[in-house]
Amino acid sequence: MNYKNIVEFKVWGKYALFTDPLTKLGGEKYSYPVPTYEALKGILSSVYWKPTIVWYIDKVRVMSPIRTQTRGVKPIKYQKGNNESSNDLAIYTYLTDVEYQVQAHFDWNYNRPDLEKDRNDHKHYWIARRMIERGGRRDVFLGTRECQGYVAPCKFGEGQGFYDNYGEMAFGLMFHGFDYPDEHKDGELWARFWRAKMIDGVIVFPRPDDEKAIVRKFLRPMKASPPQTVGLTEKGLLEGYQEGA
Amino acid sequence: MNWIQSLYETYENCQHMVGYTNEPTRPLLPICHITVQAHIEVVIDGEGNFRRAQLVDKRDATTIIPATESSAGRSGNKPTPHPFSDKLQYLAGDFVEHGGKVTSGFAKDPEEPYRQFVTLLTNWCNSPYGHPKARAVLTYVQKKTLMQDLITQKILLVDGNGNLISKKEAKRDRNSKDIFSVLNAQTQDGAVVRWIVETPNASESKTWRDATLWESWANYYLNTTKTEDLCMVTGQRRVITFNHPKFIRREGDNAKLISANDKKNFTFRGRFTEDRQACTVSLEASQKAHYALAWLISRQGYRDKQGELAVVAWATSGAKVPQPTDDFSDLYGDLPSEEEQVADTAQDMAIRLKKAIAGYRQKIDARDDVVVMAVDSATPGRLAIVYYRTLKGSDFLDRIENWHKTCAWQHKYVKREKPEPETGKMKSILIPFYGAPAPADIAEAAYGTNRDGRFVVDDRLKKATIKRLLPCIVDGHPIPRDLVDSVVRRASNRIGMEDWQWEKALSIACALYRKYRYGKEKLEMALDETRTSRDYLYGRLLAIADVLEERALSKAEKNRPTNAARYMQQFSQRPFTTWKQIHELLTPYFMRLGGQASYYKKLIGEVEDLFTPDDFISNKPLSGEYLLGYYCQRQKMWEKTDKSATNDDDSNE
Repeated sequence: MNYKNIVEFKVWGKYALFTDPLTKLGGEKYSYPVPTYEALKGILSSVYWKPTIVWYIDKVRVMSPIRTQTRGVKPIKYQKGNNESSNDLAIYTYLTDVEYQVQAHFDWNYNRPDLEKDRNDHKHYWIARRMIERGGRRDVFLGTRECQGYVAPCKFGEGQGFYDNYGEMAFGLMFHGFDYPDEHKDGELWARFWRAKMIDGVIVFPRPDDEKAIVRKFLRPMKASPPQTVGLTEKGLLEGYQEGA
Repeated sequence: MNWIQSLYETYENCQHMVGYTNEPTRPLLPICHITVQAHIEVVIDGEGNFRRAQLVDKRDATTIIPATESSAGRSGNKPTPHPFSDKLQYLAGDFVEHGGKVTSGFAKDPEEPYRQFVTLLTNWCNSPYGHPKARAVLTYVQKKTLMQDLITQKILLVDGNGNLISKKEAKRDRNSKDIFSVLNAQTQDGAVVRWIVETPNASESKTWRDATLWESWANYYLNTTKTEDLCMVTGQRRVITFNHPKFIRREGDNAKLISANDKKNFTFRGRFTEDRQACTVSLEASQKAHYALAWLISRQGYRDKQGELAVVAWATSGAKVPQPTDDFSDLYGDLPSEEEQVADTAQDMAIRLKKAIAGYRQKIDARDDVVVMAVDSATPGRLAIVYYRTLKGSDFLDRIENWHKTCAWQHKYVKREKPEPETGKMKSILIPFYGAPAPADIAEAAYGTNRDGRFVVDDRLKKATIKRLLPCIVDGHPIPRDLVDSVVRRASNRIGMEDWQWEKALSIACALYRKYRYGKEKLEMALDETRTSRDYLYGRLLAIADVLEERALSKAEKNRPTNAARYMQQFSQRPFTTWKQIHELLTPYFMRLGGQASYYKKLIGEVEDLFTPDDFISNKPLSGEYLLGYYCQRQKMWEKTDKSATNDDDSNE
């Protein structure tokens, strides 16, 4: 990387739900107190992403107090049993009034040698900057789809945060992210975990390849699916085509 | 720490409390064990020879027995056996010979449950983790004489052909105990047996109290189950479980915190194809965490009447902590009753509160983690965590102390059962206290309707209110305004409530309003005669009119609500015009009081003088502050007469 490739932004919203996987199975979702690496990576990827790059989240700063709110919800039952006429009933626990400052950087996705020509850090950096200023290319959500989030540029560490002099807060073993086959090892899907802790409101994430900090769990075989076409250079695509005809 | 880890850690810290205690609550279970209600005790010796049998007293029937994952959650028509103690159909090789009826799924092969049981027990006994007592039981069970032995001992009741009889057929003697007096059933088939193995050197012959037996089974079970994966609690590769314990809030509670019966819908499917991809927890961590939670809820938690919402606070070290769902009378324990009470002032209360909290501070290390957790279920099968917070011990106690300090008022609605000194009969007495009301009482005051002299609140509304109050207590959040408004509105509506209900609503409204204003201004619990805010003064006026009329009425021995009481609701909405009405209606009472009237007239004049003219003629609705003015003024006037009537010799006044 020849040029600076670190971006900073803040993301906020009324609700957030970073589901604790233990509560996911039964459907009574309960949120982790802080966002996961994967959730933040997803947010940044919604703001700007190309298959050429991989986003790495360096750290997150929790700005507002961790508050929860429960809501009764009716998750849709897609396949109802013989005697079931209505949708399910559940209690979800959301975080409310969240605000985070995030620092992240990108690196090339070396699993995609076909995109080598697109590895122009200057270009990607400035597009990412502009997209953050505009609030992102796609809609941003905090953990789950129903929790709309908003993105704006910021300076990491700027302003007063609720946990500024709070000391350490440990969250125990927490989900970190997924190793998807297109960025990690083709043919395999893995989940990563780590012992998360927050110091004075800041969580510094280990890199996904930090073998000391991260525990992995193999989930299942999964094939990467790179695009089948590379545009106009695809053989046979322009056969029989004539300019101006 | 996250919820399951702190529960797991609590279990580890409280290992020494595993097993039975003297408390009437549910025990902290050893892992791979469950509790059942036993009916028959069979005593055998170390070689598996029958000695005797007896019925189990109902109060002592709770028995810890080894269980497999599938037997712990068994149901349906072919239930799997527990490995050690169980019902007769599993334990007795001669069950059918004596007319025993097996569960319907086994009807074609009635020996099957017995065979399953023997296989299970044999495997355990033959493993390196076997236990001499288990072997003794196995030897005895293989003799297939259990039914015969129990019949000989007259524990099981049979007819002339040696077949089990039903409750109807039995000739029962009212004065002596028989199997049906311990068994809640029409037949004897469901009786559960527990074992006493008497060996010369063993200290604990009761197998359900033998910790070495627990260990032996747990070790065997953990080492024979082979599905290993990453445990998402400990982060290590361990034997994992797909059957997480139930019975969390109470016995018979089917809701689970971790459940995965939904494989058709999309609670986890999508990126995952099976439940074990989404979540794996080790058997050990899961059982320890769940058993700890069940134990904590039973020992010190709050449960609503339906047993749906459960709230519990605990220190991960195992030390007891004050509960956020308690009021001050629970917290302090032994408050003086109304009769015994000596001048209990706000200051006195502050000292008491400090003492009570200091008592807890001694037991909890300041850096100990204190956890507050609430669980609730929307449907019978699943349990949701609705509130979870960890705090340092000192922070937690500060918050509890602060809640009781800032949301304090004088309350007189808590009743306690106490034995009368002369007769020893239990009698319920009022325990007045200063402090914060309990969340459940707040819900009643805010939303309760009067039905046959009781506050009736919709259960869901009550649950929701308690859940909303938890952050106010534990996190120090401000009280929701709509809740305060609701309590104030109800306290203003005096007609339509019983007197005690209204008094309860009033003191709770005062407490909540005081808390609501806290931070903006500090409202005193005693009458503040220098306070000139409009709402406070109007409250005082109402109190004067109320007390005056009440006294005049009682003189004439009339027991009807005062005009102040009747107009209270209207007064809160249009104080100026309503006050004119009330004031005019006071005239006959002034006459009746004669000489005393001048005191009240003077008092009314004094209060009215404190108003600014604009404030007085304004007809804007009153805020909750008027209730405080009302309460304080009334209290002051009551005290005055109490003192002059009883404390004549108190020359220091």
